[in-house]
Amino acid sequence: MSEEKQIVLECRDVSVRYGDVVALSGVSISFARGRIHAVVGQNGAGKTTFARAISGLVSPDTGEIRIDGRALPSGNVNQARQAGVELVHQSFALPPSFTVAEAMQFGAADGRIYSRRGLERRWQTYLDSLNVKVKAGQRIRDLPVETLQSVEIARALVSDARLLILDEPTAVLSPEGAQKLFERIRHLKDVGVTVIVILHKIREVLAIADTVAVLRGGLLVEGPVECSGIDAEKLAELIIGPAARPLEEDQKAALTGSLDTAHAHLAQSVDRATVEPVLKLSAVSTRHDSDGPPLEDIDLVIRPGEILGLAGVEGNGQRTLVRAISALAETSEGKITIEGLDVTRASLQTRRAAGLRVIPFERNVEGLSLTSALWENWSARELLQRPLLSMVRPSELRQRCGTALDAWEVHYSNVTQRAGSLSGGNAQKVILSREMDEQARLIIAAQPTRGLDIGATAFVWDSLNRARARGCAILLISSDLDEIMDICDRVVVMLSGRVVGTFTPPYDLADIGAAMTGVSK
Amino acid sequence: MTESIVSVLRALIFIVIALALCGLIFSVAGYSAPDMFRAIIDGAFLRTGALQQALRWGLPLFITAAGVVISFRAGYFNIGAQGQFYIGAICAAFAADWLNGLPAFIVIPACFLAGMTGGALWAMWPGILRLRSGADEVITTLMGNFLAVIVLIYVTSGPLKDPSGSGQQASSRPLDAAYRISTSYGVSPTIIAIAILVGVLLWLLVNRTAFGVLSGLAGRNATMVTWQGARLWNIGLASFIISGALAGLAGTVELMGPNGRLASGFLPAHGFTAILIALVANLSIVGTAIVALFFGGLASAALYLPVIAGLPSSAIDITNAAIALFITAKSNIVDRFLRNWRKRGWTT
Amino acid sequence: MDDVIIAILRSATPLVYVTLAGVIAQRAGIWHLGLEGLMIAGACATILGTVLTGSIFSALLIAMVICIVASILFWFVVEKLKANQIIAGLGLTGLGLGGTTLAVESIFGSQAAVTAPSGLPRLGAMFGAYGTLSILVLLMPLFVFAVWVLLCRTRFGLRLSAAGEHPFAARSVGVNPGRMRLIALMIGGVLCALGGAELASGSLQFFSQNMTAGRGFMAFAAVIFGAGHPIGATFAALFFAIVGAIGIRAQLVFGERVPHDLLLALPYLATVFGIWLSARLRGGVKAVTGFGELRDS
Repeated sequence: MSEEKQIVLECRDVSVRYGDVVALSGVSISFARGRIHAVVGQNGAGKTTFARAISGLVSPDTGEIRIDGRALPSGNVNQARQAGVELVHQSFALPPSFTVAEAMQFGAADGRIYSRRGLERRWQTYLDSLNVKVKAGQRIRDLPVETLQSVEIARALVSDARLLILDEPTAVLSPEGAQKLFERIRHLKDVGVTVIVILHKIREVLAIADTVAVLRGGLLVEGPVECSGIDAEKLAELIIGPAARPLEEDQKAALTGSLDTAHAHLAQSVDRATVEPVLKLSAVSTRHDSDGPPLEDIDLVIRPGEILGLAGVEGNGQRTLVRAISALAETSEGKITIEGLDVTRASLQTRRAAGLRVIPFERNVEGLSLTSALWENWSARELLQRPLLSMVRPSELRQRCGTALDAWEVHYSNVTQRAGSLSGGNAQKVILSREMDEQARLIIAAQPTRGLDIGATAFVWDSLNRARARGCAILLISSDLDEIMDICDRVVVMLSGRVVGTFTPPYDLADIGAAMTGVSK
Repeated sequence: MTESIVSVLRALIFIVIALALCGLIFSVAGYSAPDMFRAIIDGAFLRTGALQQALRWGLPLFITAAGVVISFRAGYFNIGAQGQFYIGAICAAFAADWLNGLPAFIVIPACFLAGMTGGALWAMWPGILRLRSGADEVITTLMGNFLAVIVLIYVTSGPLKDPSGSGQQASSRPLDAAYRISTSYGVSPTIIAIAILVGVLLWLLVNRTAFGVLSGLAGRNATMVTWQGARLWNIGLASFIISGALAGLAGTVELMGPNGRLASGFLPAHGFTAILIALVANLSIVGTAIVALFFGGLASAALYLPVIAGLPSSAIDITNAAIALFITAKSNIVDRFLRNWRKRGWTT
Repeated sequence: MDDVIIAILRSATPLVYVTLAGVIAQRAGIWHLGLEGLMIAGACATILGTVLTGSIFSALLIAMVICIVASILFWFVVEKLKANQIIAGLGLTGLGLGGTTLAVESIFGSQAAVTAPSGLPRLGAMFGAYGTLSILVLLMPLFVFAVWVLLCRTRFGLRLSAAGEHPFAARSVGVNPGRMRLIALMIGGVLCALGGAELASGSLQFFSQNMTAGRGFMAFAAVIFGAGHPIGATFAALFFAIVGAIGIRAQLVFGERVPHDLLLALPYLATVFGIWLSARLRGGVKAVTGFGELRDS
């Protein structure tokens, strides 16, 4: 048997169930040594569960996982690590208060007791050898995401990993960052590490992987096939499955990342420059706080019927901008107006009364109270527009909530059920039904499609488009450049708390990518 | 509705587990656990006059516990009910002392006002420290309890000292009988009316106002209501003030009702029991009223045990503590058991 | 001057032991409000154990076993039954206070203070005026150093902190956060037993009900004040002890001119000040809010 055909990992009939939800069902697959394997699928297809089952973080209900022909005891991280399996998480698993050296050490196999100096020297040498540019004494919480990812990969390689699994590593990276990551992955392949990389963009699959496997609804629908033998069109169909209706252009665009779906719908609007803007930020700066970099001298205008896209590598002030518009970060200089009204010093309550609506970044933390009833979540915005001691009739609120949720096609059984019992897409629709009412004038949509499946994503885009048609001004913040380029009328790019570029269609991915990383062209 | 049945059953299961732990402790300490429980049940619910005693202890506990419900619902661990209770009683005692001689229809309302204000202020400073600076309210309200005990000792042995008092326990001069709202026996129409009024007003506040819905949301997820435009300062401070005012009200009731004077270190377990009541009732006002009567019975049993049954009254403290240890427990095993049992109950 | 330092050391030592227990628990992600209960259980068990067995060492052993068992119970309730740490901690404290009262009453038939015939070994004449202090006072810096090494200079300490700060990170390198918490609480139990023993048996050798008088809660405040760092928290505990000792000293000097009760309040006021200051400096610390709906699964 040739070296290439050797099997490093074999899964036999692996199933994982969380309560009543089947996350992975009867997956049997094997991966050859020394190659780069992609595993793709929609959100909720079971990709992350698959990665966690292999690395021992999740214990499969049935089935068996074999490394180099030896069966792993199920759900045992230590055994999996000893066998050379390491997982790099999508949201990095490094304690924020640790220094880089400490983060490397706490997972290491040796060094039970250490001195700080010795520890930092040891890991600095190691990081330098991997060409990771970071100081071993820096705190994890102070690192930018791309460095964070390099550190996490370096940590995974400490214990001589032979099978490295990367869970959606490109989700937080700029196009340049992704390129660098791919180079790193190829280098790992050269030194004999088998890499399984979990992705959801076909473009990226075809750029990096040797083979590809497709998961859909917890099932393996296509075993690892050579990437050379498959094209993007075929892959997209495998991922979405036999759709009841033909694939909508939007949906396909989300997957393939193709820019062919031209901006036909963008041409319609009138000459916007003459219309009074809904949101206007003039030279806005904020003070430094613990939640992201401060804004510096931001000028921004959004007019009625316009979707403005905000691109940038995560952590470059997008969050601060949303917080500044929402009166959750103090504006130290400059002026903010909504519908001509100066709201620079106004509370969020006042701004909301003026027509501001916010779909926040963290759906389950900032958008909903998961342990509260749907009707409570739904009526919060409205209740805050009344005096605190005003009387309410819960029965009436429940009824109106039910009507609204029905209109937004939310699948729920009862308005008194907990918000946490809804799926991600349905939960997002609850937020949309609250934030995209008839009185909305300015809608801030922060990562509105993150973690949603194709159907829910299309629903969100459709809602945004309808709100635009109604004359709302919309600010869309997304780390998915394809999404931004597909539906935005204009795109601005943020870097280190500043706006560093404005783009109009037709967009050029390379230009926007260059602006995101500060490479001038 | 079925969710709430499950939560009641869950609470009962964990209370049974807590009682089993109590039985173990009693046995280790050399008492007969069945005898102990029999005496407690007898003292709490079965002897003659037990209901009246349960009301006498339960009504003030209900008032304080209703306040605890307000702050816990809003997400603030105000565990300083004991201190707020003391300061309320102290302020009312000062008011009665200064206004001594004026007609009762002036003095009694003034005392209530003073008591509630005192309790509210004693809850307000930890509230402000928490909301302005983020100082953890668990510690500050706890320290507030210890400080209030010291203030009580100072007041009863200083400004309000009863010169004719015995050396055993310092206490204040007794209130004029005209200002009392009940006899030493402890239950009177006035006290029952106050409790009912508190119950109705708080039920409305929790279930029929914007404050009720929003503070419940804020308690479970403060970030979310902030993104909706709420000012936590308003909701939070109001919650601290209401809970403190109610504890102060309970202190005033105890002073002007059954106690008739301040004694240093009186009712030391009042605040902790009230917190327990609020938690056992799962932070509902109606539930608090029912559970308060149960714990009122237990409190009266604490007096009964040493006198009638010759058993130590600390048994009641242990029972309460064991329930506190388990009452917030959540267990998948118990939940699954309850759910299966419910399903089977429906199908058969 | 010597007597002031002796007074400070006497009141600081029990507090520091219990504070160290709180620090270890805090690092592992547990807000330990049961410290007070464990401390009084340790104090009571030491005195009763000395009375019943006649040997201080078997008494210490009994105290440690009791505190470890109580810590395991606490761990089970907060870790396995997912109970609220604050309420369960208060319950544990209540069990400690009630249980010790019950034990004294059951053995001696009254609630009066119990005096033990002997106490912890003393330092002896070679330490001059400090000879009356117990050996645990001398060992205190050693324990502080040991806990510092354990938490800040070993891989075990890193894993313990990871279990508290980012349980998922701990799990993904094969560390079981629940087990780390159990170990943390058990070590804490031993330290609380020592703290209680020093309080009851280090100078006067007696036990009376509620004799801890909130020291466990003060220790917890020292943990917060010291940002969960063993050295910082130790200094916070020393600060509280110094304030208390100054109060007593001031009373001796000024006599009746300063109200006695105000001086009693000083440590509590200092604690409130400490909590406020640490919140100010760090922009607010808050680990457990409400009934915490968002916890790492």
